[in-house]
Amino acid sequence: MIGGLPVAAGAGRSTRPLPEHLLRTLILALLLLLVPALSGSGASPATAPTDRPLRAVATTAMLGDLVAAVGGPRVEVEVMMGPGVDPHLYQPSRADLLLLRQADLIFSNGYYLEGQLADILDRRARQREGIHAVAEEVIAERPDELRESDGGEDPHLWMDVGLWIAALDRIEAILVEYDPDHAAGYEERAAAYREELRALDAYVHEVIASIPENRRLLITAHDAFGYFGEAYGMEVRGIQGLSTDSEAGLRDLENLVRLLVDRRMPAVFVETTLSDKNVRALLEGARVRDHEVRIGGSLYSDAMGEPGTYTGTYPGMIDHNATVIARALGGSAPEGGWQEERAASEGKQP
Amino acid sequence: MSWFALDTWIVLVGSACAVACALPGSFLVLRGMSLMGDAISHAVLPGLALAFLLTGSRASLPMFLGAAAIGILTAVLTQWIRRWGRLESGASMGIVFTTLFALGLILIVRGADRVDLDPSCVLYGALEFTPLDTVSVPGVGVPVPRALVVLASVALFNLLVLAAFFKEFRITSFDPEMADTLGIRSGLFHYLLMILTAVTVVAAFEAVGSVIVIALLIVPAATAHLLTDRLVPLLVLASLLGIASAGLGHLLAITVPPLFGFADTSTAGMMAAATGLLFLATWILAPRHGLLARRYRGRHREAAGPGSAEDPFHRGA
Repeated sequence: MIGGLPVAAGAGRSTRPLPEHLLRTLILALLLLLVPALSGSGASPATAPTDRPLRAVATTAMLGDLVAAVGGPRVEVEVMMGPGVDPHLYQPSRADLLLLRQADLIFSNGYYLEGQLADILDRRARQREGIHAVAEEVIAERPDELRESDGGEDPHLWMDVGLWIAALDRIEAILVEYDPDHAAGYEERAAAYREELRALDAYVHEVIASIPENRRLLITAHDAFGYFGEAYGMEVRGIQGLSTDSEAGLRDLENLVRLLVDRRMPAVFVETTLSDKNVRALLEGARVRDHEVRIGGSLYSDAMGEPGTYTGTYPGMIDHNATVIARALGGSAPEGGWQEERAASEGKQP
Repeated sequence: MSWFALDTWIVLVGSACAVACALPGSFLVLRGMSLMGDAISHAVLPGLALAFLLTGSRASLPMFLGAAAIGILTAVLTQWIRRWGRLESGASMGIVFTTLFALGLILIVRGADRVDLDPSCVLYGALEFTPLDTVSVPGVGVPVPRALVVLASVALFNLLVLAAFFKEFRITSFDPEMADTLGIRSGLFHYLLMILTAVTVVAAFEAVGSVIVIALLIVPAATAHLLTDRLVPLLVLASLLGIASAGLGHLLAITVPPLFGFADTSTAGMMAAATGLLFLATWILAPRHGLLARRYRGRHREAAGPGSAEDPFHRGA
């Protein structure tokens, strides 16, 4: 028999002191064993930046895009949450921990986009430098821009290119402050990217404005497009609430179907990181009322496309979204989007 | 593969979680209430919603307090329905956690639909990140993960409560009627155990996430139950098996994926899987209730003729 302990003759009661003692010893031994094993520093961040490139970690690819653009060859950027990942449901691994431990600079979005990691980084930021919740720092400078509803903050700042330019400015300032020796390079690259994003912003304004006014209604799977709607003049409705776990109510679906039919909306949209089940329910509902609605396309909301592709860049993601929305709702946008327009104008110039 | 101090910390946090969970977990397995941890993981939703509506904040502390309050309520209600509704424990857990979860959904849709209040977002911690969140402990020269301090305290607290009422817990677990005739109020100790479980589970969710807690609560205790029918060895073995799962799980998480060309995988997931592996191995190899031993005894009995072997499944108190 395994685990049998010697029992003193006759009495169950007399087994008491020994096992208790055993358990207590077990825990104490556990705690004591550990102290020596923990004293090593392991993978701690090297503090003084020398000539090696800085190591930066960005939680989302949208942030990673900005950091890479401003940092250029001076900064090696690792992105924690890859394409198609819903940041709310992200599962970390030890590799992420090593990345965070070794990083000189950590850029997160904030406003609970990264879930409980936000609290951890927040507490960590009191112990070491170089941890930044970029969206929260942007809003700290311009509190009026924050979208709040039901008392919670909307974290999807990148949907408004204008606000994301402010994030670019923040990241430039952070890099310049951390590594002043290479300030000139950061400023130069930031200025170039800022120009590009301004042109992108203008393109999005233009194509969204080309949609007939009564059709400037964006219906998506969850509430991620609030900043987009506010910046570019669209009414936005999410079928689900902001939390990807919450469920769509029957009455909400009813109301959306009525809205679709009343406004004769041609299309609604799905998102790359979410199931399209609820959106299909809407289509069914509209069909019953003799109004044909189609899925206008798949939008990038909480994550970008595959790295190495055009939609795996921030401009590519926004270009894709704006172009798909405009074309599906009756606006005019080139089939190849901003990318095509830009290539054409560059082709004419030389 | 390289082993850093942070790997030691991760295994330690997992081990502390294993011990904290194994103590109430062993009693839950004995009482057929193993899914209590799972039930609480769903039931906490209204606690999160209420805490948010009251404080307007999604910070860790209000979320934890809301979840803990509802966790205790779940445990108490389950026990209450089981006792007064004369239902088996699975049904009473099912009634309580689905009702509370639904209540949480309603609260969120009415009051906070545009706020992300998933437990996975605002409550569950991540084992892998625990070494980032440290506090200094007097007498220890290095910063200690906050989760380790929390879980070790919970483990110690559980140990003290169980030690203080050991006789009562034992007799009410194995023979509640006997306990009643001895004047021990078995109901009281059921409630106490349930509250202990709820606090442990919610604290552990907050520190290391959900899947590993649910696994460590049940599987090591069930495995230990294959090896012994006696309470103290059961508690010790369940703790040791949990600790072994923590070590084995982390080791597997950082060594197996590289063999297939991936970086590594979720340690919490691997630890939970390791508890299952240890259970499987034990189920096959255990000396008394194990598959091989039963086969062997079965043949032996046929050879010796009927009536010569005692029932190997008899589980005495």
